[in-house]
Amino acid sequence: MPRKQTPDSEIVEKLRARDPEGIAAAYDRYGRIAYSIFLRITHDNAAAEDLVQELFLRVWNRARDFDASKGSLSVWILSIARNIGIDYARSAQSRFQNRLRPLDQTDPLAFSYQSKEPELFENAKSIREALSELTANQRQVLELAYFEGFSQSEIARKLQQPLGTVKSWMRSALGRLRAAMKTGVTE
Amino acid sequence: MTHPEMNELYELYVLNVLEPEQAREIDEHLRDGCAYCNEHLAQAMSVAAALSGLAEEHEAPAHLRRRVLAAVKPEIRGRQWTLAIAALSAACAALLLIVLWTGVSLRSSRARVAALETERRQLTETVEILSRSDTRAVEFGKAEEPHGRVFVNRNHGVVFVGSSLPQIASDRTFQLWLIPAQGAPESAGVFRPNAAGEFVQVRTEPVDLTRIHAVAVSVEPPGGSPAPTTKPVLIVPLG
Repeated sequence: MPRKQTPDSEIVEKLRARDPEGIAAAYDRYGRIAYSIFLRITHDNAAAEDLVQELFLRVWNRARDFDASKGSLSVWILSIARNIGIDYARSAQSRFQNRLRPLDQTDPLAFSYQSKEPELFENAKSIREALSELTANQRQVLELAYFEGFSQSEIARKLQQPLGTVKSWMRSALGRLRAAMKTGVTE
Repeated sequence: MTHPEMNELYELYVLNVLEPEQAREIDEHLRDGCAYCNEHLAQAMSVAAALSGLAEEHEAPAHLRRRVLAAVKPEIRGRQWTLAIAALSAACAALLLIVLWTGVSLRSSRARVAALETERRQLTETVEILSRSDTRAVEFGKAEEPHGRVFVNRNHGVVFVGSSLPQIASDRTFQLWLIPAQGAPESAGVFRPNAAGEFVQVRTEPVDLTRIHAVAVSVEPPGGSPAPTTKPVLIVPLG
């Protein structure tokens, strides 16, 4: 039976109070998507489980750094998840060595942004629709950037396509997604 | 590059897949506190996060929830440690009194008292670090590999505890280092694991967590080195 979803504001409050119920609630809300991301990146169940554990340890240890006025919990957690996943994907070393991530990795909190975005999952339907309507090429370039961490020129080489073509696919794909998120906001 | 030209690059910047020269241009704007770039980066963070929806959804195995929850309870274990160490500390103090009471030769008593006092002080400091609510606990490694925990308190220091470090020659020692984002590593003392391969190293000086990003262990000559002379056998990010 699915567990009751706790609102993000309550999760944050509990995490800040070092209440283990906070991490349980965060896991219930974001564990599945995190596991799906890591499985897509690693293609390895055991590695995906390790990375999920690493993600929630990091969320637990850094909960006091999270500032709700600067962005939603979903964006914060998914940004950390993606960083952890890309570190893994970029590493050619063993799984243990992979834990020794570069010290200069991008920190999702490095930007002092002031988000006026609603919760990511409030417009999940629009996002899903936009992603499902992408062409195969648009989807492929987004996947290579998001899950593999490839730049546009690396994608062009990998797909043996002109850089301009890859940029065009990427631009139109991200444009669709941006538009869908704006639509979701106004709904 | 103008702002309208940057509009299509913010997501790639956030994803860290932008070509270096374009990323540098956005970096410069951010360094200058560009409000336009900050606002667009906020939106880009949301769009980038939405790309997670590209992953086919899979149900995580049921045991993973238990595993995650077990991993994030260092404070509870820390309290257990605190009790154990407090008991040990009390035992040391009692032993100290016994040594004084039995009246063994003054010189050997003094040496033993000094050693016990050092040990007691270290245990007290360890208890202080482990028991504070603002101590951060970072778990590393897994069974059959070097594994353990780093407890860091910005005002009181670091407790580094674990097991299964690689075997080293008898004329070598492990040295713990605090690794800043920039600059030279700082020594946090030398240690050798016990016969069971377990180790505890305590450094009781404040730690600037805005500067120190990781701890590392290297193999060094007896007494340690002013700077690491070998490649670290272990690096544990504190972030």
